[in-house]
Amino acid sequence: MKTFVWKIGGEAGFGIMTTGLAFSKIVSRLGYQMFDYIEYPSLIRGGHNAYEVVVSDDRVGSSPGSIDFLVCLNKQTFELHKDQLSDNAFIIYDKDEFIPETKSTLIHVPFKKILFSLKGQQIMKNTIALGASLALLGTDLKIFNELISQQFRRKGEDVIKFNEQFAEKGYAYIIEHYKENIQQVLLPLNSESQLVMTGNEAFSLGAVIADCRMYVAYPMTPSSSVLTTLAAWQKTSRMVVRHAEDEISVINTALGGSFAGVRSAVGTSGGGFALMVESVSYAGIAEIPLVIFISQRPGPATGMPTWTEQGDLLFTVFAGHGEFPKIVLAPGDMEEMVGLTTEAFNLADIYQIPVIIMSDMYLSESHSNIKESFVTDLIKNYQVNRGKTITQTNTTPYLRYSDSSDGISPRLIPGVAGSFYQANSYEHFEDGHTTESAEERIKQVDKRARKIRTYFNNDFKTPMIYGNFNEAEVVFVSWGSNKGVILDVQKKLRSRVKTAYIHFTHVYPLKKEAVIPLLNQDKRYVLIENNAEGQFGKLLQMGLGISFSETILRYDGRAVSQQEIINKVNLK
Amino acid sequence: MSTVQDFTGYQPTWCPGCGDWGIGIAIKSALVQLGLSPSSLFVAFGIGCSGNMNDFLNAYAMHGLHGRSIPNAIGMKLANHKMTVLAVVGDGDCYGEGGNHFLHACRGNHDITVIVHDNRVYGLTTGQSAPTAQKGYKSKSTPLGIIEESVDPLSLALTQGATFVAQAFAGDTIHLGQMIKQAIEHKGFSLVNILQPCVTFNKINTYQYYMKHVYKLDDTHDKTNMLTAVNKARGVYEEKYALGVLYQVEKTAFHEQIVQLDSTTSLKDRDKFTDYNQLLPYFK
Repeated sequence: MKTFVWKIGGEAGFGIMTTGLAFSKIVSRLGYQMFDYIEYPSLIRGGHNAYEVVVSDDRVGSSPGSIDFLVCLNKQTFELHKDQLSDNAFIIYDKDEFIPETKSTLIHVPFKKILFSLKGQQIMKNTIALGASLALLGTDLKIFNELISQQFRRKGEDVIKFNEQFAEKGYAYIIEHYKENIQQVLLPLNSESQLVMTGNEAFSLGAVIADCRMYVAYPMTPSSSVLTTLAAWQKTSRMVVRHAEDEISVINTALGGSFAGVRSAVGTSGGGFALMVESVSYAGIAEIPLVIFISQRPGPATGMPTWTEQGDLLFTVFAGHGEFPKIVLAPGDMEEMVGLTTEAFNLADIYQIPVIIMSDMYLSESHSNIKESFVTDLIKNYQVNRGKTITQTNTTPYLRYSDSSDGISPRLIPGVAGSFYQANSYEHFEDGHTTESAEERIKQVDKRARKIRTYFNNDFKTPMIYGNFNEAEVVFVSWGSNKGVILDVQKKLRSRVKTAYIHFTHVYPLKKEAVIPLLNQDKRYVLIENNAEGQFGKLLQMGLGISFSETILRYDGRAVSQQEIINKVNLK
Repeated sequence: MSTVQDFTGYQPTWCPGCGDWGIGIAIKSALVQLGLSPSSLFVAFGIGCSGNMNDFLNAYAMHGLHGRSIPNAIGMKLANHKMTVLAVVGDGDCYGEGGNHFLHACRGNHDITVIVHDNRVYGLTTGQSAPTAQKGYKSKSTPLGIIEESVDPLSLALTQGATFVAQAFAGDTIHLGQMIKQAIEHKGFSLVNILQPCVTFNKINTYQYYMKHVYKLDDTHDKTNMLTAVNKARGVYEEKYALGVLYQVEKTAFHEQIVQLDSTTSLKDRDKFTDYNQLLPYFK
């Protein structure tokens, strides 16, 4: 497996993100696997932005922690990242800005002079730098020029040509001055077509595939790009996308849409979800399907808006006053995000409950590639399953909350002539009318609770196991976005120790008899979570009576690193 | 044709003499006159004595959370704009807990009719003062008299973009029925604020009080003049309550401006999206 890391850094607001994404798309189109990660402050201008892309000829889901090619658009980039440089690293910089003190190979590119000679703007420094990078990595400008054409198509041929010449200048400078340093690490591979997307985009695509017709949100980092992506697509997808006045309106608009018969979803982060919680409880008692997307960031309160954490699991699992069922799913990569999103809409309709997808900044905003055929197969094979949703009824009066052995009552889509009913937030009779009868109360509480048993029988997914569980000496236990780094570490440890990884996606509720046999063996279990309190561990302790003596808990706003897992394993 | 009986659900639990009885009758008669049926009607009920109409009025209804009926109503309208949508709410519900939703729904000109039971107290929680209580009003939560000025809901609606603003009195159910009917017929956001005595907890704003202080707008009132309408609305601070349509203008409703909705097919009934060749290049 050949893997390298390319990283570009510079002042916020000057196009780092666009350039990084272009690099990710170029390597992906050349047939490589990639994973990228952005670091940015909660500012529009003036802070430091960095964009790191891990490139490999094999599947990759995290950063190895070292940098092989560092592009410094300013001195700060070098200062902040010099300690991560690998032994044979290259540094692309402009000596008119600063001169790095390092053992790494220095590749000077006169950004300033080129900009000046071509009368370019600051933002085009990126284009020069990317052109130079591609030359140094041994590929050409073909795909980059295609991306430039795509980006500026509407602005006309002159603008395209103008931008292309910056890439060409950067490229030519390397060919002319650093020919002997060129690394042949981007030779095209024969791979099938790939798509590059973030977790938020994967959720957006999954929502479209699942026939979600209403998405309502209020912007909140790191979930906002779901709103902007779906809004950008709305003319094509014909999804109604509403940016409402606050999160309480968000969820109640979506509940209105869902009650009226369209698949609906909302998206937010922890703080916004906190505002929605009373309405989650309404969805619970009134049995209104809803998909809720939560992209976590470090809390409490405003916390660290542009960084990552898995600190909202227990809050989410227990969200809502009163007792009612809900399902919480946690995808670990882009395939799982698209797939579980489509599944979430089915589960919401089948069980007539809120289904929550847990993401975090790390998964939501990192790009990774996914085979195009995975997506086209899903589009072809996905079946919209609306469970007991009905479009007509012969029962008079129609009993919206009729008691049933599986806990699920036929749900009539409103508008059918001759019928009517209410989705009541009060406890109700089977016909939906308010009641305070002890007997009716027990009937409805039990009916709603029975859905979980049905879910365990029909739809709960036992966690995936990566590696040979029977032979494994070390077993990692984790959930959601930690999947990428754990799979990468397993490969690195392969020659030294046998490991297995139990990856939970269906994190709540947990089917005891399916999970316990995985966690009570005579193995060295290590719980890995991106939070301080080991929240999933607590959930396992509470529901299954299982505890962990070894944990890796990270809560500094950064994702769990390969090295800290390796260090932990090596302790014994 | 539907009848009042078709809309009639369970026996109401309101106090004898409560203004809600008259409002309930007025709503039903307006619905019958408009040729609507329980199956062609969405109602979002709030929580309070007003919201308790959920069990007495037949419709496809959401009896949701306190303050949140307006977003429920908006969601229902967007999903199926073929249906008529009402929000039946109280003063605390709509102007207190849900005040933010109210002002944004006005500016959105969502095609919903908001019917507010304005009795200036919280009846269901036994008589605390509401946002529309007069300054100085003494209640269990404000034993020394409420310090805030009362909300002026009509001016609030007018200045935030509502395209139909009316006021009625629960003691005059015929006029009230006419107001509700006109509000439902209006395309865009319509508000009917109903002055309503709470016979149990509000001993100030009684039927006798309102008989003395209300007046009907006559034919000389210019319904298209915003400033005149605001002037009439401000009468609340002089205990002069205008009854009738204060303001009405034609503007395109929210759902009519959503390009992905067409006039013939609702969001619920349209075909599933299939043209992925339009979306996947975004990821390449």
